[in-house]
Amino acid sequence: MKLTIDQRWDIIDKIAKQTVTFGEYKHTLKDAIGELTIKPLTGVPIAIAVMYAFWSIFGSFAGTLFTDGFMVKLFDGYFLPWMQDIFPGAGGWLYYIIVGDPLADNCFEAFGMLTSGLFVAIGVVLPAIFIFYLMLALLEDMGYMPRLAVLIDTVLHKIGLHGYAIVPTILSLGCNVPGVTATRILETRKQRFIMMTLLAIFIPCGAQIGIMEEVIPDTMGWVLLYLIIGYFIFGYILNKIVPGKSPEFLIDVPPYRKPMLSNLTKKVWGRIAGFFKVAIPFVLLGCGIVNVLYLAGFIDWVGNVLSPVFVLWFGVPEATAGPLIAAFLRKDLAVAQLSVIEMTPYQMISAVVLVSIYFPCVATFAMMIKEGAKELLGALAVLFAVVFLYGGLIHLIGILMGVA
Amino acid sequence: MAERSIAAIYFAILGIITTAFGIADILVTMGAGSFAFGILEIPGDLFRGGWGGFIVLSAGLFYLSGIRNFEDIHQFSKIVMGSILIWIMAGCDIFAMITESIPGGEDGTWFNTFNGFIGTYAPPYAPAVLLLPFSLVVVYYIYKRK
Repeated sequence: MKLTIDQRWDIIDKIAKQTVTFGEYKHTLKDAIGELTIKPLTGVPIAIAVMYAFWSIFGSFAGTLFTDGFMVKLFDGYFLPWMQDIFPGAGGWLYYIIVGDPLADNCFEAFGMLTSGLFVAIGVVLPAIFIFYLMLALLEDMGYMPRLAVLIDTVLHKIGLHGYAIVPTILSLGCNVPGVTATRILETRKQRFIMMTLLAIFIPCGAQIGIMEEVIPDTMGWVLLYLIIGYFIFGYILNKIVPGKSPEFLIDVPPYRKPMLSNLTKKVWGRIAGFFKVAIPFVLLGCGIVNVLYLAGFIDWVGNVLSPVFVLWFGVPEATAGPLIAAFLRKDLAVAQLSVIEMTPYQMISAVVLVSIYFPCVATFAMMIKEGAKELLGALAVLFAVVFLYGGLIHLIGILMGVA
Repeated sequence: MAERSIAAIYFAILGIITTAFGIADILVTMGAGSFAFGILEIPGDLFRGGWGGFIVLSAGLFYLSGIRNFEDIHQFSKIVMGSILIWIMAGCDIFAMITESIPGGEDGTWFNTFNGFIGTYAPPYAPAVLLLPFSLVVVYYIYKRK
């Protein structure tokens, strides 16, 4: 049976009469609040408040309650002395790799696979990752993330991206690996390249943030500020020099909703499970490999070779060469290593920024290879230029301020 | 009509006080020191005083911009948003107190003593915590509108 155009419209009218209710729509309080969170003048202070809550709860839960409150006591007071007692061959190479320094009285200084490695993975990073992903899931399920995407769209266009780029950026603050995967939501190769490069260089992962919160709480804000500034400066430059298009985006902003416990549990568990599979083996293995490199004298050798660059160009002590090598395996471990090196506060800020921007950790590196070898090579070329230029610039700022 | 005026006056006063607290937070942070007077303590660190101060200031400005034509849903939503910002700030401060109160001290004990636990909640308090009960009045007006 074939219908004419008029007959089709008649059927549409009948269905519409049965299903659509006509009338004047009255704005509810939820609608009005939803609008406030999107308009720049009112939305920006709200976004700043949401980010404040995010970091305040992150620090209180992961830092004060779990790591300082219980984990430090458990690992330094019981686990480390126990491992030092039961593991045979104190002072031997195997002892050094597995347990670390036999005279250390805390897990940050021991640096063994099963002492510092487990402490960092379970005692510091796990609570940090848990609360980070719980709050991220809450914001997603409430419907705040699309609003944040709309709000930040104009700013991100300046660096060749659009509002949706906030998703990989925030995901990367948990772990760079899902962040790199999430760059696939961006439409063009140019956007994906810029995003991946910026993530690998300027976005510290939750593990690193957790350690920073623990070892440099007073200067962590400055480190993050330098990284945010670098993210926008180099994003702007990349947007100018990388060929390709940066299209606009259309987004359907959903109404605010009450998050469902079952959804939150599934999301958080899925992401935590990913952390167990990817990050914990890398932390333990990374710790072991770094110890082997130290024992083989490789890190001291690299330190000697690169010392003019470190001391004269970056303005950090020669001893930071070791943590920078370790940063390729795990950035969190590298920050922990930096904390035991004697430095001025500004040198510590410079060193931690260098650890963050110097190279993506090996797990992120593997994920970037999957996304395309050409993109990876391009990202690495940018990375080396950025480390050299930005590292030197931070040193210069320190000299001009009289603190370097 | 009279109740509407009372509400507008109430939120205007609350807005002025909140704005003043926000400015004080920022000024104290710029002076690089904390300030305590009675049960009030203005934190001087960059995070709570500076960043937090900006949020308290924004809350005050939300209140002040929402008092005119209070019955309009868009105006009323600004009042509600002012209170939400206060709840965010105060909630974070109270959560920080809770997380501090549970574990024991550096002497190695796992949990805090009862006195230590209660002592964590003693004054002085940050401005947002003091403003919290006054900001809750907005809940009455939300239910009244429904």
